[in-house]
Amino acid sequence: MFTCKESIDLLLDYLDGTMSDEQARHLEEHLTACPPCIDFLRTYRATPGLCRRALQKQMPEELSQRLKEFLRQKCKP
Amino acid sequence: MADQADLDADRELLTQAQTGDLSAFEALVERHRDKVYGVALRMTRSEADAAEIAQETFLSAFQHLSEFRGEAAFGSWVHRIAANHALMRLRHRNVVEAAEEELTEPEFNERGNWIEYPSNDWSRRADEKALDTELGTAIRLATNRLPDRYREVFVLKDIEGLSYEQISEITGDSIAAIKSRLHRARLDLRNAIDEFYGEK
Repeated sequence: MFTCKESIDLLLDYLDGTMSDEQARHLEEHLTACPPCIDFLRTYRATPGLCRRALQKQMPEELSQRLKEFLRQKCKP
Repeated sequence: MADQADLDADRELLTQAQTGDLSAFEALVERHRDKVYGVALRMTRSEADAAEIAQETFLSAFQHLSEFRGEAAFGSWVHRIAANHALMRLRHRNVVEAAEEELTEPEFNERGNWIEYPSNDWSRRADEKALDTELGTAIRLATNRLPDRYREVFVLKDIEGLSYEQISEITGDSIAAIKSRLHRARLDLRNAIDEFYGEK
C-alpha cells in the first residue's frame, strides 16, 4: 500500500494512464481509504482546465491590424 | 481541437495560398492568429514579444508554404513554429527568474502522511460556467511566477495540448524531465487555486 506522499507523486502517471496495472491497483487502494488524497486528486485533475480558461487570450484588434500590415509588406509577390 | 469542417476549410485556403493567393493566406492568418499569439504570450509573458513572435511565425509560414505538404494541420504547424520561436526567446533572455525552490509542494511527515490535510475540494466549482475574475487573476499571477522551464512545459502540455514527444522535440529535454516539471508546475498552480478558495 502506498503512503500519501507516494500517491501524490504518482498522480501525473495515474491520470496519464501510464502506470502498470499493479501500481494503479495499489494507488486506488490507497485513494479508497484516504479522503484527503481523493480531494487532492480531484483538485489536481481540475487544475489544468481552470488554468486553460483563465489564460485564454485573443490578439488585440490593434495588434491584428499591425500583423496584417506587416505581412502585406513582407509577403508582396 | 479543430473540427473536420475547420480542417477542410484550412486545407482549401492553404491550397489557394500555395498558388500565390495572398488573400487566402491572410484568411489563414486571421483564423489562427489568436492561437499563435496566445501560446507566445503564455510562454513569454510579454505582449511585445508575443506580437513579434506572431509576425515571425506567419512570415516563416509564408516563406515555407511551398514545402508544407499538409500531413499535419496548418493550425498545428504554425502553433509549433510559434512555440519554437517563443522558446528561443526565453532561452536568450537574460532576466532573473523565480527559483525552483519557490515552487510550492504538499508537505508530508517522515512516514509519508499529510502534515496538514488539503483544505477543501473545489473541483466541482471548477465546472462553473463563468470563471471568477479574481480567480482568473490569481491563476495568471501564479503562472507568471513559475520558473520559465516549468511554465513552458505546463503551457505546452496543459494549455496547448501538445504531446510529451512534441514537447521533447521542441525543448530538447527528456520526457522524464518534462513530466517531472509538469507535475511540480501543476502542484504549484493547484496550491495557488487552493489558497484562493481558502481565502474566499
